Order: sequence, then C-alpha cells, then structure tokens
Amino acid sequence: MSFIPGQPVTAVVQRIEIRKLQHGEHLILGFSIGGGIDQDPGQNPFSEDKSDKGIYVTRVTPGGPAEVAGLMMGDKVMQVNGWDMTMVTHDQARKRLTKKDEDIVRLLVTRKSLEQAVRHSMM
Amino acid sequence: MPMNRYADMEDKLRILEDLNMMYIRQIALSLQDSDIQKKIDHEIRMRDGACKLLAACSQRDQALEASKSLLTCNIRIMAYMSELQRMKEAQVMQRVALRSSDAGPTDDRLPCKGKVAISDLRIPLMWKDTEYFKNKGELHRCAVFCLLQVGAEIHDTDMVIVDRTLTDICFDNTIVFEASPGFELRVELYSCCSEEDYSAGSTHRKLASKLSSSLGRSAGKKLRVAMDPGACSPISNGGGATLLLPLPSVGPKYHLLAHTTLSLSHVQDSFRTHDLSISGNEECSHWVPLYGNVCCRLAAQPHCMTQQMISGCLKVKQFGGDPQSWTNVYGVLKGTNLFCYHRQEDIEANVEPAFTISINKKTRIRASEKDLHSKAQSICISNHYGGEEVTHTLSADSREDTHRWMEAFWQQFYDMSQWKQCCDDLMKIELPSPRKPTLVTSKQGSLYHEMVIDTSDDISTVTDILARRMQELELRSQLGTSPPWMSLFEESPGCPRTHNRLPHSPLRCPRPGLLSSEASLTSDSYSPCSTSPCSRHSGWAEPLSSPSSHFRPRTLSLDAKLSTLRGRGYGGVLQCSCQPPSSSSLAPIPAQRIPQATLSCSSSTSSNSSSEGSHSPELSNGTSFSRPSSARRSLRNLRAKLDPRNWLQSQV
Repeated sequence: MSFIPGQPVTAVVQRIEIRKLQHGEHLILGFSIGGGIDQDPGQNPFSEDKSDKGIYVTRVTPGGPAEVAGLMMGDKVMQVNGWDMTMVTHDQARKRLTKKDEDIVRLLVTRKSLEQAVRHSMM
Repeated sequence: MPMNRYADMEDKLRILEDLNMMYIRQIALSLQDSDIQKKIDHEIRMRDGACKLLAACSQRDQALEASKSLLTCNIRIMAYMSELQRMKEAQVMQRVALRSSDAGPTDDRLPCKGKVAISDLRIPLMWKDTEYFKNKGELHRCAVFCLLQVGAEIHDTDMVIVDRTLTDICFDNTIVFEASPGFELRVELYSCCSEEDYSAGSTHRKLASKLSSSLGRSAGKKLRVAMDPGACSPISNGGGATLLLPLPSVGPKYHLLAHTTLSLSHVQDSFRTHDLSISGNEECSHWVPLYGNVCCRLAAQPHCMTQQMISGCLKVKQFGGDPQSWTNVYGVLKGTNLFCYHRQEDIEANVEPAFTISINKKTRIRASEKDLHSKAQSICISNHYGGEEVTHTLSADSREDTHRWMEAFWQQFYDMSQWKQCCDDLMKIELPSPRKPTLVTSKQGSLYHEMVIDTSDDISTVTDILARRMQELELRSQLGTSPPWMSLFEESPGCPRTHNRLPHSPLRCPRPGLLSSEASLTSDSYSPCSTSPCSRHSGWAEPLSSPSSHFRPRTLSLDAKLSTLRGRGYGGVLQCSCQPPSSSSLAPIPAQRIPQATLSCSSSTSSNSSSEGSHSPELSNGTSFSRPSSARRSLRNLRAKLDPRNWLQSQV
C-alpha cells in the first residue's frame, strides 16, 4: 500500500459502517487508531511500507461496535464519512472519527487480504 | 447560463493546452535534438503531475508546493521552447551560410565555460511599524521562492513562508550552473499570499463587496484585491506562458515580486549586495515589503582554472643558462600555472612538481623562430618575479606539438581575458550536500538490543523487568490513599467486559488531574481522553482474544521507556505497573500488548517531559503524576504529542 507522490492512490477497499455506542456520556466506536502524517511511520507495526503515514487500526475492542461491523486490526483507514484519511495528522484523524453530532461513521478501509482476494478472483 | 460557458472555456483551454504540448513536442522532434526533447517531455510530465496534485490536495502547504512546481515547470518549458527556436534558427542560418559560401571560416575563439554558483541568497525586508503594533490580527503570511535562470537552465529554491516576524528572507540553497563568461543570471522572486480564505476570483461581485466591507480594513482590502481579477497583473510569469500553458484556476497563484540580473561583473569571492527591481505594490495580495536589495555570493570557477588544459612532454631551459641544459619535464597547464613534473607518474603520486612557471595576465609568451640548436620552434615565456624578468624557453618534440602548446597558451590567455576577475584566484564553490531524511529513528545501543522478545512467552521477561523496576522505585510509598473521588473513575459495572482486569490500585489516582489538562488542550472536539477510564481500560488491558502477533512490533518505545525509567523513576511505570500484577491473572499477553503498554509510558528522553510522552491519549494523555501542575502537564502533553519519535494511538 505504498504511494507515489503526485500519483493518485488506488486501493481495494471495504465499506464498514459503524454505529456509535453510547457509553456513559460518550459515544464510542470501540477501536484505536495509530499513525498520521505527524507521526513516525517506522513504528507502525501494521504497515507494509514503513514510510506509510496513513491511519491504521491498532486495536479493536472485542464485542464493540467496530468489531461487530467487521473492522479488523491492521486495517488502513482511507476515508471516514467521505473525509480523506490518507494525509491527515493523528489528531485530525481522531477528530474526524469522534464528532459529537454523528452517531454513525462509514469507513473505507483497506487491507492486504482484500487485494489478494480480488487478485485471486481475477485469475 | 454562465456556468456552462465557463465549463466550455475550460474545455477549450484544455484542448489548447494539448495542442500546445503537441506543438512543442513536434518542434523538438523536428530538430532531432533528443536531449531537449527528453527534458521537455520530463517537464510536461512533471507539469501534469503538479496539476493533478493541485487539484487533489487539501492542505495549504501541499497546494503551495504544487503550485510552485507548476510555475517552475511552465517556465522551464518556455525556456526550452525558446532554446529550441534559437537552435532551429541557428540551423537554418548555418544552412544558408553554407549555401552562400560567403562566410569564410571564422576563426572565432570561444572562451571556456565554467561553473557559476550562487548561494546564501538573502533578501532583507522592511516591515512598517503598523504591522507590528496595530495589526493584532492574524499573521499575514506569504509563501516565497526564487527562480534562478541562466540560459535554458532554470533552478528553483525551496519555498519559504514569510510573515512579519522575519527580518530577511533566506534561501539556503546553493545552485550551480554551467555557463560561459557572458552569462546572465536572472533572479526572480515569486510570492503568493498564504491565507486560506481567499479563493479564486469567481466570487459574485455583491458578495465580494459585502464580505470585504464587513471584514477589517486591511483584510477587506486584500480580499477585494484578490477577488478582482484585473488588479495585480494577471500575467504573472511572462505573458506568453499563460497563453501557452494556462495555470489552473484553483489553487494558490504565485506572482512575480522582484527580479534582477547578475553577470560576470557581479562575480566575487565574497558576499555582495545587488539591487532588486520590484514589481507590484502594496495593494497586491502577494506583496511583501522588500528593502530593495538582495545579498548573495556569486562565485565562478572557469574550467581553465580547474581542469588540465593541456599536458605533454617538454624540454625546458631557463634563459641565460647553459644552452645545453635542457630539462625533460612533463608539463601540465592548469589554471594560472604550468606545472613541470619530472615524470608523468608524479601527478598521480601527488609529488610536487619540479618547478612551476606561472601563466597569468602579466606573462608574455612568444614563439622564437630561429633556434640555433634545434630545428623546431621554441616558446619563450617571460614573467616578472619581483623586480626581475625571468624567461623560460620551452621546446616540444615536434612542430605540431609546439603549435598545440601555442594554441593552448593563446586559448588560456583568451579565457583569462574573458573571465577576468575569476582567474585571479580559484573561488571556492561548495556543492550542496544531499539532504538527509528528516525522521531518522536512532537505534542506540540499549536494553532493546540486549533483550530478545520473540514469542509471547518471553513477555514475562519484560514484565519481570518492569516489575523489578517498579519495586526499585518507591511507588507505593509515594502514593497515598486514593482520594474519595477516585471512585468515580473506578471501573463501573456497566462496562462490557469479559475479565475483571485491573486492580483498583491507588496507582490510578493521578489521572483525574490530567483529564483537566487534556480538556484544556482539546476543547473543540470530543476528546477520547475524557472517556471514563472504564472504556479506556477495556481497551487497555485488552486481551488476548485477539490473534497473537504475526508481526514483531517495534519496541523502540520500550527502549525509550526503560531509559526514562532509569533516568527518572516513578511516573511512567505507573501505567505499566498495572500490567505486571494483572499478568498473573491473565493469559500470556501477546507481544503486541506490551509495546502499547510501554508506549504509554515511554517518552522522549529529555529530562523535562514525562512519560506522558508518547502514549495513547487513552491512557489519559499524560498519565500518572500527581506532582506536576496541570500547566506543566499540558506542556508535556504537547511536547509528547509533537515528539516525532512517538507513535501515538488514540481510542475512538
């Protein structure tokens, strides 16, 4: 999932719709993210390309809304409700996921197994 | 409808653009100059890339950079085009000359080329006092960069953001050109307003005036100017360029702010100040108050000074000496000297030459026709050393060789007369060093290398070490009884969780204080740090139902964590301490957990920042200490967040 600067990024994505869960007085999604253009990409354990500064799912709460919706650890988040997540800072990413007035988030995520599945199906 | 017409225009412009590209390519092909053709193709591709990037990017910095590369590509293409035209003309002229056969062989001596380097560009600014004192609003910022052009070679400097806190615009780049002594180095300064609000000039007039009148005076003026298409010369980079290669209508646009032309007379081994011609005035959006000068170091190294012009075997005799005392030497003409080595191999061996004859402006060289002792011509070189004149006589093996040497000397003299002051002494040119990558993870020799964490079984070694550390430090004693309000942050039964995890140890007491600091930092959005600890914990002490790691996580943060533990002591371990006690009650924690645990505690090794550093805000961005005040804590939070060595994780 590497990219060439100046060229559009293409990926096979899966649409995941997560309904936020009311937890006390907060709405949670039940996963954790890591990464961002202001973070050190070399410490990302999930990325193939260690210069990838995208947002990755580092943990999924079992039984939480994200797991129910099909999000998996290691997924790279490409879009959240239409907002791009490939070139954002960590804080921007967090904010886009935790908007108070939205109770449903639609993510576009990509993972290696998706690309492989598409490739196999085309062969 | 006007919108349709606008779209039509866009299409037409695009078609025109494509036609222009074809035209450019055709000319290049017809000339069969593959070199320029390749360059043009490359620039066209870069230009397409820049256009796409400009259309696609959302961040202002990216847009500015893309616009800058677009402008540079446009200008380069124009320069190559004019170069092609010139070459085509020359070709045609040559054919005409051959046909007419009037022009005899012109014995035009061409001077040697050389390296011209411009470096340390500095443009002083002259801000008005009103900018500082009355203008309390946000900083008016401009993005600027320089374009340097010699013939068809165009280089751009990096982009610099200028605001009223800068006194000079400094460009650190060193740019080296290959040029002949009659070169003209054109320096152009482009600037572009860097505010977000001013979109392209397609705003409705009424709305524009309403906006500009409702905003402040200076901001409104700028807005009005930005929206008025006619104001500051829309032809920003040369009239022809925008017709041939139209700039996209969206995105930031650079305008020419100032320019000057430097030539051989400005070349000097030290810094010099030159005048700038400024275009544009205060009303323009891209205006930056320039003092009117540019300082730079313009140095030149002609090839005659750096390269060996001619070398060969010679026989040298000093005038006035014994007529038979010819010395066989291997002579090398370089710069202002003729080095005479005993043998050719001495040059590689770095042995000092036997002697050196200087060849400079004051040297006189003549060929003596008649030599009593040999049939070949010999060359006499006369210099003034001190008060006296010293003459050396050179003799080559054959007539052709003598002729070659004479030619070389004449060429050398011609070069020196053309390059003038550059031939007095060799000017130093520092070549720009390759850029180092900005984020370099430094792996210092540390505990990380000593420890081997391969399988999840070995996690116990880590937890053992952590537990030991924890015991070393006087945690428990420092933390007293938990205050009554701690119960608010105890795990509430409502949380969906499979295990009852973390011990309700008093270790958690510092957290509340940090929540406030966190809230102060992220006031605009829902901050996960303010989530109740229970959801945090559910994430935090997350098991083990997740698949065991098929990867080996980087434990750099572990390393950092341990070094801070060594250095400082208690704070960081607090969070980790949650782990070891619970580890006994849980199944072995997969490897991935530990780094996250330690992530919470690791930090930069600066003595000030706490372990709050690098960890997930879920651990309340700034775990642990009850000691530091909330102000310092928020400062540490910020520092931790900005530390490039961290890899933050946030729970959402």
